Amino acid sequence: MLQSTLKVCCVTLLAVAGAEAARWEKGYVVAFYDPAYRFGGRADYSRGTDIEPGVDCPRGSTVHFAVPQQVAQSLSLVRWRSPKEVEELANPPATGLTRDPAGVYFHTWRAASAFRGWNREIETYINPFAAEDPGQPQVTSRIGEGFNLDGKVKPGDFVSPDGEKGIDNQLYRAWGCDAPWRGANGNGTLVLRSNDKMVEGLYTIVVRISGNKDPMNDDEATLEIGYSPDQIVKDARGNVGADYSYRLLHSEQYTKLKARIKDGVVETEQADIHMPQIAWFENQTRDAFFRQGKIRVAPNADGTAAGLVGGYRDFRDLYTQNAFAQSGGVQGVREHEDHVALYYALRRNADGMYNPKTGRYDGISSAYRLKLVPAFVVEPDKPMDIPSRISEARRRQAFDVTAAATIKAVDTLIPQPVPAGSGELTATDGIEIGVGGVPIRGRGGRGARATSSTEEKAKGPSDERR
Amino acid sequence: MKLGIVFGILGCLALAQEHPPMVPPAGPGVFTAKPLGRDTFKLIVAGHVFTSRPEIERYLAYRAARLTVDKGGQWFTLKEDRAAGETAVPVPVRDPAGARYSFRMNYFRPVWRYKLTGAAEWTRWSPFSGAPFPAADPKTMSDFEVSAEIVVRKGPMDDADPLAFEAWAVSDLLVNQVSPPK
Repeated sequence: MLQSTLKVCCVTLLAVAGAEAARWEKGYVVAFYDPAYRFGGRADYSRGTDIEPGVDCPRGSTVHFAVPQQVAQSLSLVRWRSPKEVEELANPPATGLTRDPAGVYFHTWRAASAFRGWNREIETYINPFAAEDPGQPQVTSRIGEGFNLDGKVKPGDFVSPDGEKGIDNQLYRAWGCDAPWRGANGNGTLVLRSNDKMVEGLYTIVVRISGNKDPMNDDEATLEIGYSPDQIVKDARGNVGADYSYRLLHSEQYTKLKARIKDGVVETEQADIHMPQIAWFENQTRDAFFRQGKIRVAPNADGTAAGLVGGYRDFRDLYTQNAFAQSGGVQGVREHEDHVALYYALRRNADGMYNPKTGRYDGISSAYRLKLVPAFVVEPDKPMDIPSRISEARRRQAFDVTAAATIKAVDTLIPQPVPAGSGELTATDGIEIGVGGVPIRGRGGRGARATSSTEEKAKGPSDERR
Repeated sequence: MKLGIVFGILGCLALAQEHPPMVPPAGPGVFTAKPLGRDTFKLIVAGHVFTSRPEIERYLAYRAARLTVDKGGQWFTLKEDRAAGETAVPVPVRDPAGARYSFRMNYFRPVWRYKLTGAAEWTRWSPFSGAPFPAADPKTMSDFEVSAEIVVRKGPMDDADPLAFEAWAVSDLLVNQVSPPK
């Protein structure tokens, strides 16, 4: 009797110990990464100049620098420009010397857009507060993805698609109608571009979830997210391949969070999150810093998962990241967005990171979607940092000096000059921008390479407008 | 020696550039803010030396923004002062589906009254009357008053209201540009 009781006890103890020791781990690689903007339009439908109008954006996506009438309206806010000058800039004549009329619009508009301050010396993209607000269409829908970051239900908050109230995603409110980030099924131009670049090797993000209980229900799980130095592997169809191995670096773009899993859905604690930010040029590849951030991962039946990361982001990071991969003018005219309008929309909708010194908010609530494909997430053999590309050092420096000047300008309200090495006024297609927004032909090279040596230029063509 | 002086001046200029922008204090009687209700104020900028209409109106807009911040508000709305018959300029309408703005300076339209040199009577000028500003040469003004009634608001801004102005945005834009009239 005693023997059999002891046997039962031993078996039970072993079973319990075995269950507790059954460490499990799931890995994913991020196959698609975009801002959680909920498209409410009808794809491929236009009404006059309204591009895909919908419940999110009743007049559709932004048309900044898309039509002369709109350009004239923006430039008419520049008080040192005469109405005649505005008209001529909005409708630049294609001269006999120029074979590409679209190029005339592009260069004239990007140059004029770079000088809209209260005097003609002030470069606008570095000093957006010194220009009048050209206006930004905003999201009018009440449904939005994200998290209730502050635990409150406020009048401007969204309701999540599954009915949760109090969703804080004011970045969607502010920028959700911005043309390059809006589109059905992630087909906004910069959504596509940044994801193409990510899948082609610009950067890789991996997620690792682990625990010691039931992988479907574990209240003491861990979620790690961060940069991987390994390029995403695609399958024969060009999709992100499943079950490849990726190293996860414990770098400045790495975060480990406590998580709870209920019925398979992982939800982390609320804490600061560091992970790679969205990028389409190497000089933008840096930390996306979410304050009071949170991550949710919901598994799909096919083994993939849908992730959502949210938190408050510094408006200065968001502004500079979007504006200065190349230059504010190139980006604005090409993508039909206006960074002055985007700047004001960010500040107007800022709702986090309260700054007691200034009495203003420095952060805006945001959320980003992650499509996750199963992967093996492993530790590197030896500790390593995020690799840097020497060939991109000049472009990275151009971004850094421009962003630093912008942040100084915005923080001090002292208009800053364009710093040496910045991409703002350097030549694109051999056309520089002179003070006052005058295109100057036949000068320099392209973009940040304008000052590079002949030897460096000989190494290969610039990818300034790739 | 001369080079030293030049570098000294340049150094001083560089240092001066690093100081945060400051609007000079107004002289006595130049700016008044009269409360008309709990959050409503009538603001008046008065002076004797006319410079230009935009310059003086911008100073009034700056003071409106600063007053809003000082009162703990985030934004203010302008109550247009339209007398009977002043309908030449249409009332701006809300457009919730259109672009949203932190401010539209074109819609900050205060009302003037002025005395020409030697005149005893005030003359009113309204931006809504359709009359040019003002009929006489502005340089001959001996006194002027520019006034605007504003309502200080708290909380998220109604950015579909064309007469709404975000206080900090207006202040940031104007802080480097304005100085009080004399």
